[in-house]
Amino acid sequence: MSAISLIARDELRLMRRNRVAVVAFALLVLLTLAAAFISWSHQRAIAETRARFQAQAAKEFEAQPDRHPHRMVHYGNFIFRPLGPLAAFDPGVDAYTGNSMFLEGHRQNTANFGDVRQSSLLIRFGQLTPAFVLQVIAPLLLIFLGYGAVARERERGTLRQMLVQGVSARQLVAGKLLALAAVAALIGLPAMIAFLLIAGQPDALAGPMAVIALGYAAYLALWAVIVILVSAMMRRGRDALLALLALWAVLVILVPRVAPDIAANAHALPTRLETDIAIQEDLRRLGDSHNPDDPFFTAFKQKMLRQYGVSRVEDLPVNYKGLLAVEGEKLTSRLFDNYADRSFAVQAAQSGLMNGFGMISPTVALRRLSMAAAGTDLDGHHRFLEQAEAYRFAMVQQLNQLQADAVTYADDVAQDAGADTRKRISADHWQAVPEFRFQPAPASDLLRASLPGLLLLLVWLAIAALALIPIARHVQKARR
Amino acid sequence: MSLTANGQRIVVNDVHLSYGSHAVLRGLTLHVAAGEIYALLGGNGAGKSSTMSALLGFVRPDAGTVEVAGYNPATQADQARAQIAYVPENVALYDHLTARENAAYLLALAGRRPEPQAIDAAFEATGLQEAAWDKRLGGFSKGMRQKVAIAIALLREVPVLLLDEPSSGLDPKATADFNRLVHDVARRGAAVLMVTHDLLSAADIADRIGFLEAGRIVDEAAAQGADRFDVRDLHRKFTAGSVAA
Amino acid sequence: MLLRTELTLLLRARMAMFALILVALLSIAAVAAGMAEVARQRDVIARIAPQQERDLAAIASWVDQGKDPGNAAYYSFHATWDAPEPLAFASLGLRDVAPYILRVRALGLEAQLYDGEAFNPELALPGRFDFAFVLVYLAPLFVIALFHDLVSGEREAGRLRMLDALPGRARRLWVRRVALRGGLLYAALALPLLAGALLSGVPVGQCLAVLGLTGAYLLFWIGLTLLVGRLRWSSVANAATLAGLWLVLTLILPTVAHVAINQAIPVGQGVELSMAQREAVNRAWDIPREETMTRFYAGHPEWRNSPPLPPAFHWKWYFAFHQVGDESVAPRAAAYRNGIEARDRAAQALGWVLPSVGVQAALARLADTDMQAQLAYQDRIRAYHQTLRQFYYRYLFTDTPFGKEDFARTPRFPSS
Repeated sequence: MSAISLIARDELRLMRRNRVAVVAFALLVLLTLAAAFISWSHQRAIAETRARFQAQAAKEFEAQPDRHPHRMVHYGNFIFRPLGPLAAFDPGVDAYTGNSMFLEGHRQNTANFGDVRQSSLLIRFGQLTPAFVLQVIAPLLLIFLGYGAVARERERGTLRQMLVQGVSARQLVAGKLLALAAVAALIGLPAMIAFLLIAGQPDALAGPMAVIALGYAAYLALWAVIVILVSAMMRRGRDALLALLALWAVLVILVPRVAPDIAANAHALPTRLETDIAIQEDLRRLGDSHNPDDPFFTAFKQKMLRQYGVSRVEDLPVNYKGLLAVEGEKLTSRLFDNYADRSFAVQAAQSGLMNGFGMISPTVALRRLSMAAAGTDLDGHHRFLEQAEAYRFAMVQQLNQLQADAVTYADDVAQDAGADTRKRISADHWQAVPEFRFQPAPASDLLRASLPGLLLLLVWLAIAALALIPIARHVQKARR
Repeated sequence: MSLTANGQRIVVNDVHLSYGSHAVLRGLTLHVAAGEIYALLGGNGAGKSSTMSALLGFVRPDAGTVEVAGYNPATQADQARAQIAYVPENVALYDHLTARENAAYLLALAGRRPEPQAIDAAFEATGLQEAAWDKRLGGFSKGMRQKVAIAIALLREVPVLLLDEPSSGLDPKATADFNRLVHDVARRGAAVLMVTHDLLSAADIADRIGFLEAGRIVDEAAAQGADRFDVRDLHRKFTAGSVAA
Repeated sequence: MLLRTELTLLLRARMAMFALILVALLSIAAVAAGMAEVARQRDVIARIAPQQERDLAAIASWVDQGKDPGNAAYYSFHATWDAPEPLAFASLGLRDVAPYILRVRALGLEAQLYDGEAFNPELALPGRFDFAFVLVYLAPLFVIALFHDLVSGEREAGRLRMLDALPGRARRLWVRRVALRGGLLYAALALPLLAGALLSGVPVGQCLAVLGLTGAYLLFWIGLTLLVGRLRWSSVANAATLAGLWLVLTLILPTVAHVAINQAIPVGQGVELSMAQREAVNRAWDIPREETMTRFYAGHPEWRNSPPLPPAFHWKWYFAFHQVGDESVAPRAAAYRNGIEARDRAAQALGWVLPSVGVQAALARLADTDMQAQLAYQDRIRAYHQTLRQFYYRYLFTDTPFGKEDFARTPRFPSS
């Protein structure tokens, strides 16, 4: 048996005989399983609630009586963002974004009723998910189990003894690392098994799941290397422990908190109030549909009359008010898209800057990877918002088109007592409006989004592993 | 107080002490007078450090009496400790402080604020080179540290000096310096009690030697004449006890 | 002299010095970041007025042509805002995820009240870097670093027996050392906070409360550290045990409690409320208009003498069914709010057991940035919305023309 595996075996035996270490390890495994179970049941409950509401919204929409189509534009529709199967592992920003949206004409509403606004302050302490356990707590356990791996030998003088007996420092460091890496694998294993169980059949998501597994493995391995590095660098076990705790506090707790502040200050996001006012101003600049002499709407009217070869709107084969509604929605929608794109761009810049902190903290890199692969990051939310807007636009235009085609202009402008009944069209039309179906991101997109994080983690791992070489040389000097 | 008056500064009478079912002192009796150096010689587990603990008031004997300069350390720990200067086996002072700062600090902790000149004089008396007085203790040898500790003990000007394995780890020259110092302290009227397992150093320095064995004094020897002790005789007594145990 | 030497002793230990400087820097950075964020929010609020002015002026000039109060009421959005309290910089609380400005119009409020602000959820997820974070999460780690080896360090250095052998007064040594380390740590944390509070014009009483809270939390951790120290373990064992306790108290238990509270106290989903409100409002188009008016007049008899509805569309009916819609979901709205309050209360109660939660909650309460502050803001919006409705109803139900000059009379959101 080689010296390396002998040393690793000895280290593992020592950990096994350390009651505190065994208890801590068992607790972490329990915590992982509890987190997985809680997260899974929470996600199931969310999925069930949202599906129920989505069904209810669809039913209510279809159950509306005969109406003027524009009433349906204002009645609008509720849509809900479903959670992907990987959200149970890492729910990402789900609790922080609204998950339901009210879609109506002329307006772009916000996604509302995120968990963060209907929970106690405890939500800001973080959420108990398998991702949280692995990102934050698992490194701490590795620190507790491994801080003394090399420092202890040095402190007790056994290091010299080993070196004198012909064990090279490189073998010693490798053996200790091997032992700690084995522990890291054992720590990660329950989470990964739980991950497989809650994610169900990987199907098309096999790629993102593999990236998540690889990413977390690299992260835990990285921490194992860091622990051994520091343990080998420090003269005393206590110094190693304190240095590692400080490092953990900075990399896992502090940097992920500081990064958002810097990002938020670097790229200011316009408020909704300002955006709303700006959109209204732009609309006024474009034209005033209430003003009969408005150049924009006069031009539109002329265009329509020319297109149908008539001279009066009353003679149009379609309802001019409906055409106007279609045109108006097109205008506002374009503006909504412009402003939303600007807001997305600012947010993307913020997130990009924050992700750059992955070069300082591997936890940031891992978080990015994890959320991106699970589809629960900002992109995932934007995907929902974009699809919601597209659906809103299509639904409103379908109803506006119904106004143009199924309601006559004469009825539409009539003000007599029976006019209200004549303006209404059959409720069957509502059933023709398709339901909202959220298209989850294809696996290839998730994969692409998660690769930078993975790359960063692997670079971290490579650098840390390379640093072991000079450290082993440093340990070797203990012979003198 | 009467004992102090007739010159006995350390009085231990028939002391019994056990930790749980494990008896460590079994009828220990010893007296040390002012100006006398008494060496308590014993092997591992003979009860040396328990004796020290009893004198310092760290433990309360199950039976018997202990008095240090007239105070019972078990019930009057503060008064007793105020009379004792204690030099532990491994003199551990503060590495971040200089020799002078260490002395000033530890004396202040004991409630003494000597003039700087007094500290200088004490360092001088211990033979600590002047260059070291304002150096941090981090780089000091064991002998130098011990000199600082003795200087502190001298400055305490207390009637009782307790030394824990003082000679271990010292080279012969340092040992000789140390012995001279302890004699100086005794000549000024202090009662000195040292515990040690080093027969030769005990023979070098002590006026009387008590052989501690399984928690009591099994034999005593007093210095006589120019040769002081018959080392071979001492050795016989020491090992005889050890074998008996 | 003793204290000075203790100080020398402490500061010459590189780690202690480093830790104290780091705490001071972190505290300064957190206070500065918090103050910058509060200043930014104030700035955003200050920017509202001119923009609102422009927006309303444009609407006014158009409404003035027909002078229909319904158009004025329907198209005018009115700004509300929740200006940060002076102490908000110390604990930003919910202010990064809940809106602090919101525009409302005199239509159904339940469909407007829960709208969110545009924010990047990825930035909100880890939480903000403010003083509350430094205090709740980081300060205990520094307490551990400075206190874990208070006694065990002396024991391991071989000095403990000697120190113990010194006469009685020396025992005050530990008191002195604890006081010194604790005092310096407290100063490093609290002085930047105090400076920030003075710069922000925080009232004295609040200043004292925050300083007291900071001290109490430090004392808790110092006490815990000393208790663990009494077990006479090695410094390493102390440090490991304390870091484990920190993990449990500040990370694991709060997250577990969050799950437990949300399970135990379900809040009827807010969206349920919105959907019910929509049904109530839109149903009005399909029932006789008189039915709506009867219900409306029952609740608002002061307008009962308004002329009957004409055959054509009339805005007062439109606003009446929005009002009735809100009223029909009032019990749901109350239940939703009660649920949120119950969750909040449960978390507050937990704060008595979990100091990390307690301090976080108390700080956010003092800074007026917590859930209660959010709900209070919603109450103010409700009250303002009520005055808005009353204002427009006076025109709508008496068929009074609404001209440019009436825009100037529109009630403004009261600055609290």
